[in-house]
Amino acid sequence: VAGQAQILPGTLDLLILKAVSLGPLHGYGVLLRIEQISHGALLVEQGALYPALFRLVRKGLLKANWGTSENNRRAKFYELTSAGKKRLREESEDWNRLAAAIASALKTRPEEV
Amino acid sequence: MSLYSNLQAMLAALFRRSHAENDMDEELRAHIQNRADDLSRSGLPRAEAERRARIEFGAPEKFKEECREQRGGFWLETLWTDVRFGARLLRKSPGFAAIAIVTLGLGIGANTAIFSVVHAVLLRPLPYPNANRLAIIWSQWGNETRGPASGPELIELRRRSRSFEEIGGIWTSLGTIMGTAEPEQVRLGFVTANLLPLLAEKPELGRFFAAGEDRRGAPAQMILTDGLWRRQFGANPEIIGKTARLNGGEFTVIGVLPPDFRLLFPDGTNVMADVQVYITFLDDLEKRDRDTGFLRMIGRLHRGVTMQQAQSESEMIATQLRGEAKEYAEQSLHLTVASLQGEDVRSAQPALISLFAAVGLVLLVSCANIANLLLARAGNRSHEAALRAAMGAHKGRIVRQLLTENLLLGLLGGMAALGIGWAALKWILAMQPPGIYRLIAVRLDATVLAFTLLLSIFTGILFGLAPALSAARGDLLEILKESGKTITAARPWLRQLLIVSEVSLGCVLLVGTGLMIRTFSSLLRVNPGFRPENVATFQISFPWSHYGSAVSINNFMRQLQTNLSATPGTASVSAVSHLPLDEGLGNWYSYYWPEGAPVQQQNTLMADHRAVLPGYFRTMGATLLEGRDFNDTDDAEHTHVAVVDDLLAADAWPGQSPLGKKLSIEDSPSGPFQFIREAVVVVGVVKHIQTHSLTSQGRAQVYVPEPLAPRPATTFVVRTTVPFETFAAYVRQEVRKLDKDMAIANLRPEEDYVDIARAQTRFVTILAGALGGLALFLACIGIYGVTSYSVAQRHREIAIRLVVGAKFADVRTMVLVQSGLPVAIGVFVGLLLAAALTPLLSGLLFGVRPSDPITFAAISVILGAVGIAACYIPARRAAKVDPIIALRCE
Repeated sequence: VAGQAQILPGTLDLLILKAVSLGPLHGYGVLLRIEQISHGALLVEQGALYPALFRLVRKGLLKANWGTSENNRRAKFYELTSAGKKRLREESEDWNRLAAAIASALKTRPEEV
Repeated sequence: MSLYSNLQAMLAALFRRSHAENDMDEELRAHIQNRADDLSRSGLPRAEAERRARIEFGAPEKFKEECREQRGGFWLETLWTDVRFGARLLRKSPGFAAIAIVTLGLGIGANTAIFSVVHAVLLRPLPYPNANRLAIIWSQWGNETRGPASGPELIELRRRSRSFEEIGGIWTSLGTIMGTAEPEQVRLGFVTANLLPLLAEKPELGRFFAAGEDRRGAPAQMILTDGLWRRQFGANPEIIGKTARLNGGEFTVIGVLPPDFRLLFPDGTNVMADVQVYITFLDDLEKRDRDTGFLRMIGRLHRGVTMQQAQSESEMIATQLRGEAKEYAEQSLHLTVASLQGEDVRSAQPALISLFAAVGLVLLVSCANIANLLLARAGNRSHEAALRAAMGAHKGRIVRQLLTENLLLGLLGGMAALGIGWAALKWILAMQPPGIYRLIAVRLDATVLAFTLLLSIFTGILFGLAPALSAARGDLLEILKESGKTITAARPWLRQLLIVSEVSLGCVLLVGTGLMIRTFSSLLRVNPGFRPENVATFQISFPWSHYGSAVSINNFMRQLQTNLSATPGTASVSAVSHLPLDEGLGNWYSYYWPEGAPVQQQNTLMADHRAVLPGYFRTMGATLLEGRDFNDTDDAEHTHVAVVDDLLAADAWPGQSPLGKKLSIEDSPSGPFQFIREAVVVVGVVKHIQTHSLTSQGRAQVYVPEPLAPRPATTFVVRTTVPFETFAAYVRQEVRKLDKDMAIANLRPEEDYVDIARAQTRFVTILAGALGGLALFLACIGIYGVTSYSVAQRHREIAIRLVVGAKFADVRTMVLVQSGLPVAIGVFVGLLLAAALTPLLSGLLFGVRPSDPITFAAISVILGAVGIAACYIPARRAAKVDPIIALRCE
């Protein structure tokens, strides 16, 4: 697919938190949601998602419960804990600050120096 | 996460492991199914959709492992898995496991045994209250820096010192106690009242001497050791407050010491560990002569005062004393304060530290051996590692697993080591190592166990790290492509390096062993100035009540001499106040000078004084160089005479014959300890006798006839041709005939004393020999193993060589040269290392230089020969390779 990018190291956790914040999701759902909200621009390696999910659960940012998926399969659903919500807020702010700074740096033209 | 929830997660993970595993499996499976659902909705056939979904997902095991790492308690769980896996592997190769565990057991066990001794002797404090504040205070007499103090000196020091809480003194002699059993000769300790409380918390029964009970007019009281109380008084607690006869006088028993109480005084103090009866000085110490030193002083520092501070203060006091009394000036009094513990272990320390270093070397050789075994296995295991890596295990995980296996091996080796160490320790203690036997309870205690555990873990890491890293490296595809059989040895240079290091370490150890063997053989060849063979000795002490005068003592001795001379097989009988090489009686030495010497020459030379009966030199097999031995008329009534040794003659009258010359010495013709200075005529010169040690010459000697210096205790020497036991019966019988209340002690051959003087060297030599042999054996196995392995690896190559025309002998030579090279390098490096290290041993050596060329040459020949022999067997096997079979096997 043209225009797809590997996600930056360290941003997978942030994307997962964001995806889950929009509503409880199972693992495959998280994958689809990230694709959807990035308009297909970000590509997550399928297997790599799970260690990240386990890590977030262990850190107490996500909690997991078994439920039934839309196509009637048993699936483990993830949702944000309050710590997860807080972390998402903080990391989003950090990210925006960083992105703005880099964007502004990259926009610099020679006469502005 | 809090500690609690961490722990909870860990426990949950451990106990609900399979649940968590199922959970994870199901989740991943659901993911793939979901994906396949999507794919088949887009039109793919179901089977193809599932295949695609699985490919897209990637290697599930890798992600599962990563997921597991995120779970709490993960490390504990993998540790357990690895331990079980390692145990399974060891069970599958029992030969490897047995060799590795025994090798490690020997290496670590030797360390356990030596460490228990080092710990008990050097590290554990002495079994005294506040042991770290106890000091021994040495007095200087002329050039003797570790001498005893005089009575007034102790009292003055005690009065002036602000560093010491207490200063106590002891002098030991022999005495005869008559309890309820047979009269028994015992070592008698004369002490100040405060000495025993310095060395024990409290008595087992009764009390210690009270302050002031060591002065003139104090009651005659004694304190017994537990052993004597049991032997002489049937362990009767009612004895406290009752009287018993000691040396013919009545003494009240006021206390019994605890069973484990022992005197631990440094070598050279003549205070033995087994003093059994303690009494106080029954006169005022400050009124004794200033120029007669006999007291060994123990002080306890005030809290917070260092040995250094006490030393400077004592030296200041010594300076004052020298200014105040001419005796102190003549003595050139100085005081040295040293930690009692430090002085106690001074003679044993170099030997123990050397042995500790030696067992360390043995352990390193064991480690090198096991590392080699593991490297050989690593060749086979690299396939397994590659497979694991292909399935998604990371390198860290593989290294960790191998390390866990090695730790397991190390711990199993440590367990074997406890058994081996325990047996080795029993063997060591059975040798009664000198300077160690005095120190109570050498045993495998908690500290030793902890040491063994740490050592096992350390060795597990040490020998396992190189193979583990080497197994985890390596190109996956390369290894997997190879058929598994022909994998080349992991890093051949590493294996060669291990051989070089184990041979060189073994070489250092063997050179040390060789030097000790040479030292011991020099000791056996030492001529001590007398011939100890066939000389029997025994001690008697004279109860004050019956033998108060010089005449009564002399009469008894002459009578016993005559009676013993008449027993069958007796060649000659004599007696001496201090037996050569017996350190159990306070030595007697003082200044001498040629009569008429100028004053400045008078207090410069010192000699050991010995009072003897006629025939002493003949009995001991000493060499009379000039003049004559004493005879029956050499007594107090006739001209006072002396025999000197060649050292004294050379110092006093260099270049002249001393015969007929007059010598100023101290003696006591009117009775024990009533010293006077007088001039005696030299009638004979005898070759110097080594009195205190086989290795150092010691002071010059002057001999006087017994009537000129009677002592309360003496040692008989008898040259006899009958077996010792037969003679011993004669002695008991003859002594009893003369005086039924006279007890004898230390009835033993003079050779016993010579053996004791050799004991430390003998002990170190035997242990060094055992360790050297062990290292040689291990190195041998190592060389053999590596050569065999490389021959096995090279079957195909050897077969090809043989096919294209190489002769069997060529193949054999090739293998020999290639395997022999690291051995040769190892020997060379080892000799260089040994040359650098052996000077550290010089304190233990005698009659051989640390760089002794004979030892170095002999060890290189032995090690080289053994090394070549270890290579030769596999080399011969290599030459016997059948090319057809070898090539077909591939």
